[in-house]
Amino acid sequence: MSKHDDPTDDASTAEPAPDTTGKTGAIALDNLNKTYDPEGEHVVAVEDMDLDVAAEEFVALLGPSGCGKSTVLECIAGYLEPTEGEVVVDGTPVTDPDPKRGVVFQENRLFPWKTIKENVEFGPRMHEGVEEGRAESILDEMGLDGFEDAYPSELSGGMQQRAELARLLANDPAIMLMDEPFSALDALTKEIMQKKLLEVWERDNRTVLFITHDVEEAILLADRVAIMTARPGQIKDVIDVDIDRPRDPEVVTTDRFTELRERALSVIREEAERALEQEDGA
Amino acid sequence: MSTTTIERIQRRFEGGTVPMLTKRVRQLLSIVLFLGLWSALVRFGVLGFDTFVGPETTLAALLEALSGTAMTEGGETIYEHAAFSAFRVLVAVTIAVLVAIPLGLTIGTSRRWEDALFPALEVFRPVPPVAWVPIALLLLPTFRSGVIFVVFVGAFFPILINTIEGVKTVEAEYVQAAASLGAGSRDIFRHVIVPATLPSIVTGVSLGVGLAWITVVAAEMIAGGVGIGYIIFQAYRLLQTEVIAVGMIAIGFLGYVSAAAVHRTGHYLTRWQETN
Ligand SMILES: Nc1ncnc2c1ncn2[C@@H]1O[C@H](COP(=O)(O)OP(=O)(O)O)[C@@H](O)[C@H]1O
Ligand SMILES: [Mg+2]
Repeated sequence: MSKHDDPTDDASTAEPAPDTTGKTGAIALDNLNKTYDPEGEHVVAVEDMDLDVAAEEFVALLGPSGCGKSTVLECIAGYLEPTEGEVVVDGTPVTDPDPKRGVVFQENRLFPWKTIKENVEFGPRMHEGVEEGRAESILDEMGLDGFEDAYPSELSGGMQQRAELARLLANDPAIMLMDEPFSALDALTKEIMQKKLLEVWERDNRTVLFITHDVEEAILLADRVAIMTARPGQIKDVIDVDIDRPRDPEVVTTDRFTELRERALSVIREEAERALEQEDGA
Repeated sequence: MSTTTIERIQRRFEGGTVPMLTKRVRQLLSIVLFLGLWSALVRFGVLGFDTFVGPETTLAALLEALSGTAMTEGGETIYEHAAFSAFRVLVAVTIAVLVAIPLGLTIGTSRRWEDALFPALEVFRPVPPVAWVPIALLLLPTFRSGVIFVVFVGAFFPILINTIEGVKTVEAEYVQAAASLGAGSRDIFRHVIVPATLPSIVTGVSLGVGLAWITVVAAEMIAGGVGIGYIIFQAYRLLQTEVIAVGMIAIGFLGYVSAAAVHRTGHYLTRWQETN
């Protein structure tokens, strides 16, 4: 499958990928720093963060809100320029957004002035061209058949999020950057979406960086869970999730899952206590 | 005043005295009340109203005008005057739309163009359109194009300002989303900036059309030669107050129809909006 790794696609991707397997979509955060300086303030959102995500790996980035998760994701997406350090994807430093790195946020960013089908076909239209019937089949897979000609405002929140995922998949990115994509959904819709995502990922093997503040969601979905410290964000610990795939939401009842969850929670608790002490000291 | 008194008053207004009236009936009532007030003002000579016609005489004059009787010494009927005014508004608004929208999009998206063009435009913006009449008469000696120019100035600024404002308030999220899907700057302009700005442009055009009617009447009074503004002013000079009233009704009608047309078109073009 083409994942924008076609050498004729873009001259800038002609550099050799360091990944010897020939897979694409490896992300390396190299001493990433990001500070915000809104009028007089000085907010260090991310400080000296290192993280390697292998090509086709599913990594969850877990952390309390305000710890800098979205900042990291926006640096990888190419929306924000790091204050120091860099993001390297397949050996090339990130400078701008690229269709190879698809993004989904909690609040959908579907174009409200385009129909669902036009939204889904937008990416392909920007490069190789629209393949007849492809949007329909992806929408069908997402359970959105019959809504091709609807505008996003006519859909429920869950359906909008599915349409957003359809738009991302139609663009066939090597990397999917997902910022709490399901946190605004009700429990049932959330579970359906998690299942869909696992299904799609296990089939296509893209790299996924999935941000969440939900411990169970992180363990259910990811190969590895990277836990962040409180702001300024850094990686506190990385937990390997050695639960067989394909997984489905039932694994949350297994002993191994419970063990991993307890481990993750103890790291988070430790971090929360440290953050509190820090606040007291300040 | 105790709450019970207020509640009683509210009930009287909302449900008490006019409970069963449908929306249509209430709207009709508003017109009847207006006509009654007008009639009373004239009959009792409140302010200078005794020199003005009442609704009954106006209705007769309106019917006569609508039957195609010539309204001024030139021999034009109300239809010809109305057509002239409408033509001026249409041409002026069309030119304003064609100039102001591309200009606004350019100024809104490019800092460099903004610096180069906007300060000069800002100087002219506070000048009321009618103040352009003398210059228009000097530069464009045929009264027709002169009036059109002045109306153009009236319609131009609201469209320009709203377009610029619209571009500047396009949410960065959509631009980012488009870039992450592989759109270049041209595609972003076409698929994000322009459609996202459309609601503001529609607002600008609505305001522009309203201002165009105000301006056309004022300009025609001074320099029209023909048109509704011209007949209103001629009628004033000849003290034909029923013709003044007929002219005002004609302008009101034309303004209403054009506003409704712009509203419908705008509504259709931005039908994707949640508020629709
Ligand atoms: N544009 C900005 N200007 C100033 N501060 C910001 C900005 N964006 C985020 N921050 C701050 O940076 C920190 C990290 O934010 P964010 O990356 O959104 O965290 P998270 O996604 O983990 O909730 C927060 O304290 C937040 O207030
Ligand atoms: Mg966030």
